[in-house]
Amino acid sequence: MNKRLGHETWDGETYYGQPSVKPSPFDWKVAAYVYVAGIAGSSQIIATMADRLGDRRDESIVRNGRAVALAGALIGAPLLIVDLKTPERFYNMLRIFRTTSPMSFGSYILTGFGLFSSLTAAGHFMGERRRDGSRSGMRRVADMMQVPAAFLGAGMSTYTAALLSSTSAPVWSAAPEALAVQFGTSAMATAAAALSLGERMSGDPENCRRLDALAAVAAAGELVAAGLAERCYRVLGVEGTLNTGTLGNTYKIGALAVGLGVPLACHAINALSNRPSRGLSVLGSLALLAGGAMMRQAIFKAGNKSAERPEDYFRLTEPRPGSTPRRRVDRDIAARTMGLI
Amino acid sequence: MNVPPRALDYPDSFLDTVIPDESELTCGTKIEPGKSYGFFTDTTLCIGCKACEVACKEWNNLPADNLGLTGRSYDNTGDLGANTLRHVSFIEKIGHGEDRATEMAPFQSNWLMMSDVCKHCANAPCLEACPTGSIFRTEFDTVVVQQDICNGCGYCVPACPFGVVELSLDDGKAHKCTLCYDRLKGGLEPACAKACPTDSIQFGELNELFDRAGKRVEELHELGATDAYLYGAPDTPGATGGLRHLNAFFLLTDRPEVYNLPVAPTRASSRAAPSFLTGLAAMAGLTLAAAALMSNGRGRR
Repeated sequence: MNKRLGHETWDGETYYGQPSVKPSPFDWKVAAYVYVAGIAGSSQIIATMADRLGDRRDESIVRNGRAVALAGALIGAPLLIVDLKTPERFYNMLRIFRTTSPMSFGSYILTGFGLFSSLTAAGHFMGERRRDGSRSGMRRVADMMQVPAAFLGAGMSTYTAALLSSTSAPVWSAAPEALAVQFGTSAMATAAAALSLGERMSGDPENCRRLDALAAVAAAGELVAAGLAERCYRVLGVEGTLNTGTLGNTYKIGALAVGLGVPLACHAINALSNRPSRGLSVLGSLALLAGGAMMRQAIFKAGNKSAERPEDYFRLTEPRPGSTPRRRVDRDIAARTMGLI
Repeated sequence: MNVPPRALDYPDSFLDTVIPDESELTCGTKIEPGKSYGFFTDTTLCIGCKACEVACKEWNNLPADNLGLTGRSYDNTGDLGANTLRHVSFIEKIGHGEDRATEMAPFQSNWLMMSDVCKHCANAPCLEACPTGSIFRTEFDTVVVQQDICNGCGYCVPACPFGVVELSLDDGKAHKCTLCYDRLKGGLEPACAKACPTDSIQFGELNELFDRAGKRVEELHELGATDAYLYGAPDTPGATGGLRHLNAFFLLTDRPEVYNLPVAPTRASSRAAPSFLTGLAAMAGLTLAAAALMSNGRGRR
């Protein structure tokens, strides 16, 4: 009987199954932005590495990378502005700077990235790299501007994970570190895949092979990060939304099996064979690009859905006897809480 | 209750001016900028009359919403949101099926009521998430959304660990309890606390409220209600994960989840740095991989 009101541990009771936290009002545009920002940011990094460390034959990687970075910034910013509920005040995003809010420092990352990527691309397409390897003035400007753009590109690739993690939505907040690695590696993998497709078109199979190798390294890292995230979800009891239904299929089959398994297999076969197959490389790249989009979409939707499941949130926020909070003050509170209720 | 001496200066029922520092007469607290104010909601006194909800809607000119019946006891309000800044929840502790109670002990043991509200956290996650600076901390240590700055990005909504803030699709801005910022500026007690007929909602200076609440818990324990405890006062459930304390805190008699509150909510912003820095470290590793492949990755030619 329910005479004794307090229970030592939570017995699963909720308030009529009503959500305890509110899901974000973001829609698909934010998930799409996370994807686009990742490809753009990592493309800039690859282009910068190719420009600084590569030779004349890498010029097409540099050009395509810079173009993708600019395109990503040009598509990404409007996606975010249109998602605002009072879009005419978008400039208020730069009204203050706040390190506690990834939405705030992310706005600066996006602004800076857009600015430097535009300068890089403009300098690149106006200037030239001569046959003897010397560079025109405009091209030198582009090569200078690419450095800050590449640093901000690293931010673009991964800050969106911090943005989702710094909320109270169970799935997003359960694995902040693993999610950041997952987003960052996926950004690099999708960018390398996109540039590999570009090389396929301009016809340098050797460039393709190197980009495919980079994509495979990143995809392998993503697989590990996804595993670590999955373990966090399970330990904290919020794995439900990513395991069942359409969302579970999108994530497990779409993002992990097709999006990571297929490209890893394709690129591995190509790396081991003496005559790398053009078809496998293209298939791997396309699977990576599709998988990255599905991964963002699944994580995004799962976060919103888990916010509507009070049992997920209560399991997440339950003090665990086994785990000790990091901060001393929280350990004190946890000790007191366990005795109190 | 003692009549404050100043009350005798205003014997008329209808006044043509606002009483200066009226809060001194209605709740014994003078409202001064620079001090911390909050709510102590004592759920053992709540009778579920919803006068707080009505007073809040009236004072803040909020539109009606959630018309109709929910089937959740007497809670037809639903939840806190853009147009509902106070929400009384009703929990009938009667059990289900075989477990259903046939007899009930006196003294609210079977029916819990709680007037929920924005907690005005000491480290408010909504404020820390707000990228425009629209959400700010007032001179009364409360947390308020400035409607003329908010651009409706909605990041405060999932940041809140209590599901309080909501975007209104009518005006595209975030809304939540302001702890009657306008009334405090005018020396008036917040509308809900003033309307509460049982003093379940008490407005006052925060440290004074913490003292009062602590004494109330002791008193209840002496009366035999040993399950009474505070939620959101310093070092209690609700004031966890870096939130420090809640300026609007509660006295509860059952587990927090029963009232739709998390036992140990966390400060959302505490995850920003670990996540971002780990991500950047991963990117640094990937950049090294890219550098290695770009500089000498050219194999057989």
